[in-house]
Amino acid sequence: MPVMPRRRRKQFFVRRKVCRFCVDTNLLIEYKDVNTLRQFVTERGKIIPRRISGNCARHQRQLTRAIKQARLLALMPYTPQAPVA
Amino acid sequence: MRRYESVWVVNGDLPDEEAKAIIDKFSRIITSQGGVLVGVEDWGRKKLAYKIQGTLRGYYVAADFAGEPATVKELERNYRIDDRIIRYLTIKKADHIDPAALQEEIAARSKSHQVGELEGAAQPEGVSESEAVESAAEGAALSPQDSSLVESATASLPQED
Ligand SMILES: [Zn+2]
Repeated sequence: MPVMPRRRRKQFFVRRKVCRFCVDTNLLIEYKDVNTLRQFVTERGKIIPRRISGNCARHQRQLTRAIKQARLLALMPYTPQAPVA
Repeated sequence: MRRYESVWVVNGDLPDEEAKAIIDKFSRIITSQGGVLVGVEDWGRKKLAYKIQGTLRGYYVAADFAGEPATVKELERNYRIDDRIIRYLTIKKADHIDPAALQEEIAARSKSHQVGELEGAAQPEGVSESEAVESAAEGAALSPQDSSLVESATASLPQED
Protein backbone atom coordinates (compact mmCIF):
# COMPACT_ATOMS: atom_id res chain seq x y z
CA MET A 1 0.00 0.00 0.00
CA PRO A 2 1.33 3.43 -0.87
CA VAL A 3 1.66 5.60 2.16
CA MET A 4 -0.57 8.61 1.98
CA PRO A 5 1.22 11.70 3.13
CA ARG A 6 -2.01 13.25 4.27
CA ARG A 7 -3.05 12.49 7.76
CA ARG A 8 -6.31 10.74 7.84
CA ARG A 9 -9.00 11.70 10.21
CA LYS A 10 -10.99 8.56 9.93
CA GLN A 11 -9.83 5.12 9.23
CA PHE A 12 -12.54 4.35 6.77
CA PHE A 13 -14.26 6.18 3.99
CA VAL A 14 -11.50 8.56 3.14
CA ARG A 15 -12.66 9.30 -0.34
CA ARG A 16 -9.96 11.15 -2.14
CA LYS A 17 -11.42 14.12 -3.84
CA VAL A 18 -9.03 15.56 -6.30
CA CYS A 19 -9.60 17.57 -9.38
CA ARG A 20 -9.48 15.17 -12.28
CA PHE A 21 -8.44 17.88 -14.66
CA CYS A 22 -5.47 18.80 -12.51
CA VAL A 23 -4.45 15.17 -12.21
CA ASP A 24 -4.74 14.44 -15.90
CA THR A 25 -3.57 17.45 -17.82
CA ASN A 26 -4.36 15.73 -21.07
CA LEU A 27 -8.01 15.79 -20.19
CA LEU A 28 -9.28 18.92 -21.83
CA ILE A 29 -12.48 20.68 -21.02
CA GLU A 30 -14.33 21.30 -24.22
CA TYR A 31 -17.95 21.63 -25.15
CA LYS A 32 -17.40 19.08 -27.90
CA ASP A 33 -16.21 16.38 -25.57
CA VAL A 34 -19.61 15.31 -24.39
CA ASN A 35 -18.39 12.01 -23.03
CA THR A 36 -16.19 13.76 -20.51
CA LEU A 37 -18.71 16.43 -19.65
CA ARG A 38 -21.37 13.85 -19.05
CA GLN A 39 -19.41 12.52 -16.11
CA PHE A 40 -19.99 15.79 -14.32
CA VAL A 41 -23.73 16.02 -14.54
CA THR A 42 -26.37 14.07 -12.68
CA GLU A 43 -28.89 11.79 -14.30
CA ARG A 44 -31.16 14.76 -14.46
CA GLY A 45 -28.54 16.70 -16.30
CA LYS A 46 -27.66 18.99 -13.44
CA ILE A 47 -24.07 20.06 -13.03
CA ILE A 48 -22.48 18.31 -10.09
CA PRO A 49 -21.14 20.80 -7.55
CA ARG A 50 -17.45 20.75 -6.95
CA ARG A 51 -17.98 20.00 -3.32
CA ILE A 52 -19.08 16.60 -4.61
CA SER A 53 -16.89 16.14 -7.66
CA GLY A 54 -13.75 17.51 -6.06
CA ASN A 55 -12.89 19.73 -8.96
CA CYS A 56 -10.83 22.79 -8.28
CA ALA A 57 -12.46 26.18 -8.73
CA ARG A 58 -10.69 26.96 -11.93
CA HIS A 59 -11.59 23.76 -13.66
CA GLN A 60 -15.12 23.77 -12.34
CA ARG A 61 -15.55 27.18 -13.88
CA GLN A 62 -14.30 25.95 -17.23
CA LEU A 63 -16.39 22.85 -16.92
CA THR A 64 -19.66 24.61 -16.23
CA ARG A 65 -19.09 26.89 -19.14
CA ALA A 66 -18.39 23.95 -21.44
CA ILE A 67 -21.49 22.13 -20.24
CA LYS A 68 -23.62 25.18 -20.87
CA GLN A 69 -22.17 25.54 -24.33
CA ALA A 70 -22.86 21.89 -25.05
CA ARG A 71 -26.42 22.34 -23.86
CA LEU A 72 -26.96 25.27 -26.10
CA LEU A 73 -25.92 23.22 -29.10
CA ALA A 74 -28.18 20.39 -27.96
CA LEU A 75 -25.18 18.13 -27.50
CA MET A 76 -26.27 17.68 -23.90
CA PRO A 77 -29.66 17.90 -22.30
CA TYR A 78 -30.79 20.61 -19.96
CA THR A 79 -33.12 18.11 -18.40
CA PRO A 80 -34.12 14.48 -18.99
CA GLN A 81 -36.11 13.78 -22.10
CA ALA A 82 -39.08 12.11 -20.53
CA PRO A 83 -40.24 14.47 -17.84
CA VAL A 84 -39.52 12.63 -14.64
CA ALA A 85 -42.73 12.53 -12.74
CA MET B 1 -6.92 38.94 -36.00
CA ARG B 2 -8.36 36.48 -33.58
CA ARG B 3 -8.89 32.83 -33.84
CA TYR B 4 -12.45 31.59 -33.69
CA GLU B 5 -14.41 28.44 -33.89
CA SER B 6 -18.00 28.60 -34.94
CA VAL B 7 -20.42 25.72 -34.85
CA TRP B 8 -23.81 25.76 -36.45
CA VAL B 9 -26.59 23.24 -36.48
CA VAL B 10 -28.74 22.80 -39.55
CA ASN B 11 -32.22 21.43 -39.12
CA GLY B 12 -31.72 17.70 -39.62
CA ASP B 13 -34.98 17.27 -41.47
CA LEU B 14 -33.33 18.89 -44.44
CA PRO B 15 -31.50 16.73 -46.97
CA ASP B 16 -27.76 16.31 -46.78
CA GLU B 17 -27.21 18.23 -50.00
CA GLU B 18 -28.75 21.28 -48.45
CA ALA B 19 -26.62 20.97 -45.33
CA LYS B 20 -23.54 20.72 -47.54
CA ALA B 21 -24.61 23.74 -49.54
CA ILE B 22 -24.94 25.66 -46.31
CA ILE B 23 -21.31 24.86 -45.53
CA ASP B 24 -20.30 26.61 -48.73
CA LYS B 25 -22.54 29.52 -47.96
CA PHE B 26 -21.09 30.23 -44.57
CA SER B 27 -17.55 29.50 -45.64
CA ARG B 28 -17.98 32.18 -48.23
CA ILE B 29 -19.42 34.59 -45.73
CA ILE B 30 -16.41 34.11 -43.47
CA THR B 31 -13.89 34.70 -46.22
CA SER B 32 -15.81 37.60 -47.72
CA GLN B 33 -15.76 39.31 -44.35
CA GLY B 34 -12.01 39.24 -44.09
CA GLY B 35 -11.83 35.90 -42.36
CA VAL B 36 -9.27 33.24 -43.10
CA LEU B 37 -10.70 29.74 -43.03
CA VAL B 38 -8.41 27.22 -41.44
CA GLY B 39 -10.73 24.29 -41.77
CA VAL B 40 -14.29 23.14 -41.73
CA GLU B 41 -15.25 20.08 -39.79
CA ASP B 42 -18.33 18.28 -40.93
CA TRP B 43 -19.62 16.52 -37.85
CA GLY B 44 -22.56 15.20 -39.76
CA ARG B 45 -25.88 14.19 -38.36
CA LYS B 46 -26.40 13.90 -34.67
CA LYS B 47 -29.36 13.32 -32.51
CA LEU B 48 -30.28 16.44 -30.60
CA ALA B 49 -30.43 16.25 -26.83
CA TYR B 50 -33.80 17.96 -26.95
CA LYS B 51 -36.31 19.07 -29.52
CA ILE B 52 -35.63 22.21 -31.41
CA GLN B 53 -38.31 23.51 -33.73
CA GLY B 54 -40.04 20.18 -33.58
CA THR B 55 -37.10 18.10 -34.66
CA LEU B 56 -34.64 15.88 -32.87
CA ARG B 57 -32.16 15.77 -35.69
CA GLY B 58 -29.39 18.16 -36.47
CA TYR B 59 -26.54 18.46 -38.89
CA TYR B 60 -23.46 19.87 -37.20
CA VAL B 61 -20.67 21.80 -38.83
CA ALA B 62 -17.76 23.56 -37.19
CA ALA B 63 -15.69 26.22 -38.90
CA ASP B 64 -12.25 27.09 -37.63
CA PHE B 65 -11.11 30.48 -38.80
CA ALA B 66 -9.21 33.63 -38.06
CA GLY B 67 -10.93 36.94 -38.29
CA GLU B 68 -11.98 40.17 -36.69
CA PRO B 69 -14.90 40.68 -34.34
CA ALA B 70 -16.75 42.18 -37.29
CA THR B 71 -16.34 38.89 -39.16
CA VAL B 72 -18.11 37.08 -36.36
CA LYS B 73 -20.77 39.70 -36.13
CA GLU B 74 -21.62 39.38 -39.78
CA LEU B 75 -21.47 35.59 -39.65
CA GLU B 76 -23.84 35.44 -36.73
CA ARG B 77 -26.16 37.94 -38.31
CA ASN B 78 -26.42 35.56 -41.24
CA TYR B 79 -27.04 32.61 -38.95
CA ARG B 80 -29.98 34.44 -37.52
CA ILE B 81 -31.39 35.29 -40.91
CA ASP B 82 -31.16 31.72 -42.16
CA ASP B 83 -34.01 29.81 -40.56
CA ARG B 84 -32.46 26.47 -41.47
CA ILE B 85 -29.90 27.16 -38.75
CA ILE B 86 -31.40 26.06 -35.48
CA ARG B 87 -28.40 26.69 -33.25
CA TYR B 88 -25.01 28.28 -33.43
CA LEU B 89 -22.11 28.96 -31.13
CA THR B 90 -18.99 30.95 -31.77
CA ILE B 91 -16.02 30.69 -29.52
CA LYS B 92 -12.86 32.69 -29.43
CA LYS B 93 -9.87 30.38 -29.28
CA ALA B 94 -7.12 32.98 -29.27
CA ASP B 95 -6.79 36.74 -29.10
CA HIS B 96 -3.97 36.93 -31.56
CA ILE B 97 -2.72 34.87 -34.42
CA ASP B 98 0.63 34.44 -36.02
CA PRO B 99 -0.02 34.76 -39.76
CA ALA B 100 2.89 32.54 -40.74
CA ALA B 101 1.89 29.80 -38.34
CA LEU B 102 -1.66 30.10 -39.58
CA GLN B 103 -0.63 29.53 -43.18
CA GLU B 104 1.42 26.54 -42.13
CA GLU B 105 -1.53 25.15 -40.28
CA ILE B 106 -3.79 25.61 -43.25
CA ALA B 107 -1.31 23.84 -45.49
CA ALA B 108 -0.95 20.99 -43.02
CA ARG B 109 -4.68 20.76 -42.66
CA SER B 110 -5.36 20.45 -46.37
CA LYS B 111 -2.72 17.74 -46.59
CA SER B 112 -4.10 15.74 -43.70
CA HIS B 113 -7.56 16.12 -45.15
CA GLN B 114 -6.69 13.81 -48.02
CA VAL B 115 -5.31 11.24 -45.66
CA GLY B 116 -8.27 11.76 -43.40
CA GLU B 117 -10.55 10.09 -45.91
CA LEU B 118 -9.38 6.75 -44.63
CA GLU B 119 -11.18 6.14 -41.45
CA GLY B 120 -8.98 6.00 -38.41
CA ALA B 121 -6.06 7.45 -40.27
CA ALA B 122 -3.57 8.74 -37.77
CA GLN B 123 -4.04 12.41 -37.09
CA PRO B 124 -0.90 14.47 -36.95
CA GLU B 125 -0.04 15.11 -33.35
CA GLY B 126 0.66 18.80 -33.62
CA VAL B 127 -2.77 19.81 -34.80
CA SER B 128 -4.07 20.90 -31.46
CA GLU B 129 -7.60 21.46 -32.48
CA SER B 130 -8.65 18.95 -35.10
CA GLU B 131 -10.61 16.59 -32.97
CA ALA B 132 -11.29 13.00 -33.68
CA VAL B 133 -14.71 14.32 -34.48
CA GLU B 134 -13.53 14.77 -37.99
CA SER B 135 -13.39 11.08 -38.71
CA ALA B 136 -16.66 10.47 -36.96
CA ALA B 137 -18.29 13.01 -39.18
CA GLU B 138 -19.79 10.95 -41.96
CA GLY B 139 -22.55 8.74 -40.75
CA ALA B 140 -24.25 9.47 -37.50
CA ALA B 141 -21.72 10.04 -34.80
CA LEU B 142 -21.98 9.65 -31.08
CA SER B 143 -25.54 10.26 -30.11
CA PRO B 144 -26.01 12.21 -26.97
CA GLN B 145 -28.51 11.03 -24.46
CA ASP B 146 -32.06 11.16 -25.55
CA SER B 147 -33.76 14.18 -24.26
CA SER B 148 -36.13 16.80 -25.33
CA LEU B 149 -38.71 19.32 -24.49
CA VAL B 150 -36.60 22.20 -23.51
CA GLU B 151 -36.31 25.03 -25.89
CA SER B 152 -34.04 27.94 -25.52
CA ALA B 153 -33.06 30.89 -27.52
CA THR B 154 -30.05 30.75 -29.70
CA ALA B 155 -27.29 32.91 -28.49
CA SER B 156 -23.58 33.00 -28.47
CA LEU B 157 -21.75 32.69 -25.24
CA PRO B 158 -18.48 34.36 -24.59
CA GLN B 159 -15.58 32.08 -24.13
CA GLU B 160 -12.90 30.58 -22.04
CA ASP B 161 -10.39 32.33 -19.97
ZN1 LIG C 1 -8.29 21.45 -11.41
